[in-house]
Amino acid sequence: MHTHHSIFCITPPHMLQEIVRNGSTTQRDLALRTIVTSEQMRGQRRALKSMAAFMAAAAVSTGNKQRTIYDAKFGSNLPGTVVRSEGGPASADHAVNEAYDGSGVTYDLYFDIYGRNSIDNNGLKLDSTVHYQKGYDNAFWDGKQMVYGDGDEDLPVAERLFNRFTIALDVIGHELTHGVTQFEANLAYWDQSGALNESLSDVFGSLVKQYQRRQTADQADWIIGEGLLTSNVNGFGLRSMKAPGTAYNDPVLGKDPQPAHMKDYVRTVEDNGGVHINSGIPNRAFYVTALELGGYAWEKAGQIWYKTLTDKLQERSTFQQACDLTFEAAGEIFGTNSLEQQAVKKGWSEVGITVAGDAPSGCLSTILSAFGFKTRAVK
Amino acid sequence: MRIIFERSGGIMGLKSSLTIDLDELPLDQAETLRRIVDEANFFALPENPPTRPIPDGFQYTLTIETDTARHTVRTSDTTASDELRPLLQELSQRARLRRKP
Repeated sequence: MHTHHSIFCITPPHMLQEIVRNGSTTQRDLALRTIVTSEQMRGQRRALKSMAAFMAAAAVSTGNKQRTIYDAKFGSNLPGTVVRSEGGPASADHAVNEAYDGSGVTYDLYFDIYGRNSIDNNGLKLDSTVHYQKGYDNAFWDGKQMVYGDGDEDLPVAERLFNRFTIALDVIGHELTHGVTQFEANLAYWDQSGALNESLSDVFGSLVKQYQRRQTADQADWIIGEGLLTSNVNGFGLRSMKAPGTAYNDPVLGKDPQPAHMKDYVRTVEDNGGVHINSGIPNRAFYVTALELGGYAWEKAGQIWYKTLTDKLQERSTFQQACDLTFEAAGEIFGTNSLEQQAVKKGWSEVGITVAGDAPSGCLSTILSAFGFKTRAVK
Repeated sequence: MRIIFERSGGIMGLKSSLTIDLDELPLDQAETLRRIVDEANFFALPENPPTRPIPDGFQYTLTIETDTARHTVRTSDTTASDELRPLLQELSQRARLRRKP
């Protein structure tokens, strides 16, 4: 469906957006025009929306973070009382500062690397509530904001299983990414589309942590929620993207139920059809792709997954479609048969999913179709 | 009166459950629970209120049996009524404190 003018093949959108923000007036106008033309040519679903966002981003030079942290004071009313606003002084409360700093790093990854201005790409305020309920072992995205419980911090140390949920930066990135997904692919939160929704939150949550630590793919631990489980639990985190199913094995919590391969796909009605279980499969596909490419995972693998999330995936997308669409995105960004595209293919093949029809795509596809060749395989 | 509490979902997708028989509880605790159930107006609540799943949200299934009635309610942290919240929190606490490291 997407056709590309040749210049867009070689200038990634995030670079154009960078030019819009930081270039000279002439460069800026040229880049903006390129983006507009690109959007028109692609006939994208959100052309107008993203144009507005680019214009808004162009008006400020360093993004426009608007963080507010609220305190639910152990109750259930959201958002609660404001305890820290953008630019305000640090609090004496660790949870407040972690939510503030964590949503800041998450904003930065999306803005610096993918040129995205907040959850909606239009500067949406980042609202977080801490101290939600009493002894609440969870964090969630309610459709409008992030919400964090204190885990078992009200219990004696010897009885605690969970620390407070703001303690893990990747969990903050995970929740905020649920917001991004809601504004983009809007993947339905059940079965495979739900597991993809979950996996994208783990992918970008992990990238936020790697970005903050400046770790390459082989240096990163690929653990989600490191530090969240106390020493009373036999485990090192909530999930492992590298080795799904190995994050914990504990007499009280049980064993990490994530599969690492399609042959172990779990069919269940619990957890909206196992959205936190089967996400292990696409999680590992991303890990293998990133490791194959080397360097910083947010640069190449992250860019491919980001493009797939924002331009390609749809509400009821399946694992097979995610495989095909990341492959297509890699072809569009880096070229058909590029090392990047091969890495994506390998990532999915390791979890038992094969790209359907390796048709030429991206620049080559554009050129071929300009000469009247049909290039896209029928799916 | 018997209360069956089940919780699933959450960021870990872990399941947690608890069954309480009020006859087996100390008198004062049974009284408190009975009062919270009454105040929740539990038997009048709709069984399956329309909800769209919340990412990483818990889903709760509560069933209460008496000699004459049995009712099940499915709910979540964001859709539970103010009246039902104290019961949800009481049962969540009991389920949490039962699992000892």
